Amino acid sequence: MGRPPVITTAGLTKHYGAVHALTDLTVAVGAGVTGLVGANGAGKSTLIKILLGLLEPTGGHAHVLGHDIEHEGQEIRRVVGYMPEHDCLPPDVSASDFVVHMARMSGLGASAARERSADVLRHVGLDEERYRPMGGYSTGMKQRAKLAQALAHDPQLVFLDEPTNGLDPAARNDMLSLVQRIGSEFGIAVLVTSHLLGELEQVSDHVIVLDGGHLLRSSATGDFLEQTGSLLVEVVGTEAERDRLGEALALRGLTCRPRGAMVAIDPPPPELAHEGAAHDLIRDVAAELGLGLMRLQPDRRHLEDVFLDGDARV
Amino acid sequence: MPVSDLSRPGVIHDLGYRHFDGVREGTGTIARTLFVTGLRHVFGLGRSGKSKIMPFVLLAMSVLPALIVVGVVVLTGLDSLPVSYADYTNQTQLLVSLFAASQAPVLFSRDLRHRSIVLYLARPLPGAVFALVRWVSLTVALWLFMAVPTILLFAGAMLSGLDKSDQVTAVLKAVVLQALLAMMLAGIAGLISSVSLRRGFAVVGSVMALIVLAGVVTAVQAISADQDADSVSVAAGLFSPWTLYSGIADAWDAGIDELVPVDGAWPLAYVLVALLLVAGCLLGLVARFRKVGSR
Repeated sequence: MGRPPVITTAGLTKHYGAVHALTDLTVAVGAGVTGLVGANGAGKSTLIKILLGLLEPTGGHAHVLGHDIEHEGQEIRRVVGYMPEHDCLPPDVSASDFVVHMARMSGLGASAARERSADVLRHVGLDEERYRPMGGYSTGMKQRAKLAQALAHDPQLVFLDEPTNGLDPAARNDMLSLVQRIGSEFGIAVLVTSHLLGELEQVSDHVIVLDGGHLLRSSATGDFLEQTGSLLVEVVGTEAERDRLGEALALRGLTCRPRGAMVAIDPPPPELAHEGAAHDLIRDVAAELGLGLMRLQPDRRHLEDVFLDGDARV
Repeated sequence: MPVSDLSRPGVIHDLGYRHFDGVREGTGTIARTLFVTGLRHVFGLGRSGKSKIMPFVLLAMSVLPALIVVGVVVLTGLDSLPVSYADYTNQTQLLVSLFAASQAPVLFSRDLRHRSIVLYLARPLPGAVFALVRWVSLTVALWLFMAVPTILLFAGAMLSGLDKSDQVTAVLKAVVLQALLAMMLAGIAGLISSVSLRRGFAVVGSVMALIVLAGVVTAVQAISADQDADSVSVAAGLFSPWTLYSGIADAWDAGIDELVPVDGAWPLAYVLVALLLVAGCLLGLVARFRKVGSR
């Protein structure tokens, strides 16, 4: 990723009286899709508002697309799109009219605004319903209209605040694949927030984890999901079979524990660490016991583990 | 790439995402676009059919008497208009105030109530400029509302051959006074609408401030004039935009006669209070939009 970062912050801090919304946040965001994860109140929306120049930080600096947030807020807002978390659509206007108007408010001429709105509404998947007043829209359609207005002026960066909020599973998947397309196919950098970690695992290249206004971790999604060296084994049968396998493996020097219907095996000791040794052992043990192997796979970490690690540290 | 996830079976051509590399307008052009859109919305243009009824019914009601006056003047050949330009606006003040009260929420409540203000503030126009442009839209709309019957009266006066230079002076004075009045009315109704976000409350609040208050102030003026408390009568006029308007018109000889003449240092006080009122409303509006925007 040889390109300069899209967003950089240095010691960014925002205090509302005694409430510390952000504390000393230093982070860099590159191109592609970046997930911003945190529980409600972790400071995600505050960070976005500061980066848009809508809130003044208590301390620290930040640059968005090379512009200083303190002095060049207007330049930033010209080339950035924003999809807020809450409802922000007037009910008596059609999505078509609204997106055209918002494109013009971003500085596009009348005909360019109409053309781009039609394009963008098609990309987000609002068809005939775009001509109806938005008051009658479902949550999924409203989220699409909100996303369309954020993209109307062809920004270089979009902030998407909880775009999957309130969506059913199918609409959620649609929205997530759309987010991924924006980052890759459209070539627009995305900073997307969510309090659901699993969602961001699917779509983001990079994840920033905030907890109580503090940076917990910032790294490529792959690093979060790095293989831990543990293995997961599942055999045909009930818990009785699972436990038989586990006990037999423990006798052979592997540390096992039950996880659901599966046996989780901690990274094997040095004598079994060489390529395939643990796999062979598991296969042989299962065969000796006459158990049918259903699954044997490396265990991957989940983003949730980052929080568990964080809690352990604190 | 999950390219086809969202496309429907009926879509044949997918051009893919196209970037925009055309001209991006500056803040001035964006502000002008917002002004024009706001002005159209006050009259219900570009909005639903239903929203055009109120402004145009009020406009028709305020134009109708002017048409009758013009008819009478042209047919009977009077040597002067039975009502001066400035006084015509004063006589139809109920309609002007209703127009301001009913249409201010369109510009000042909707964006705040539906939170679309956040989308505006995430765009190049600063919040303070946004609030000021909204106010200019309403001011110009109100001014047009008052200027239409004024221009009709002037056309009637010209048709019936009244003295041109007298009429031009009078009509120009009226237009200037109407502009000042429009600034005050737009400021008050706008500020009230931006604070009380429910349309009903906003309308009632503006009616109280513009119509009821003007009635009370006028009554106080009449009573104190009757009791020979002249300075009380003139001072009371400072407390409503309508009495400020008629007081300044009286002092400027623009065709309105107050019960107690506004003279001496009073005209200056009237103008100062009017300007302070406008400035106060604008500061309030800017503060209000800034506060909402940072939430």
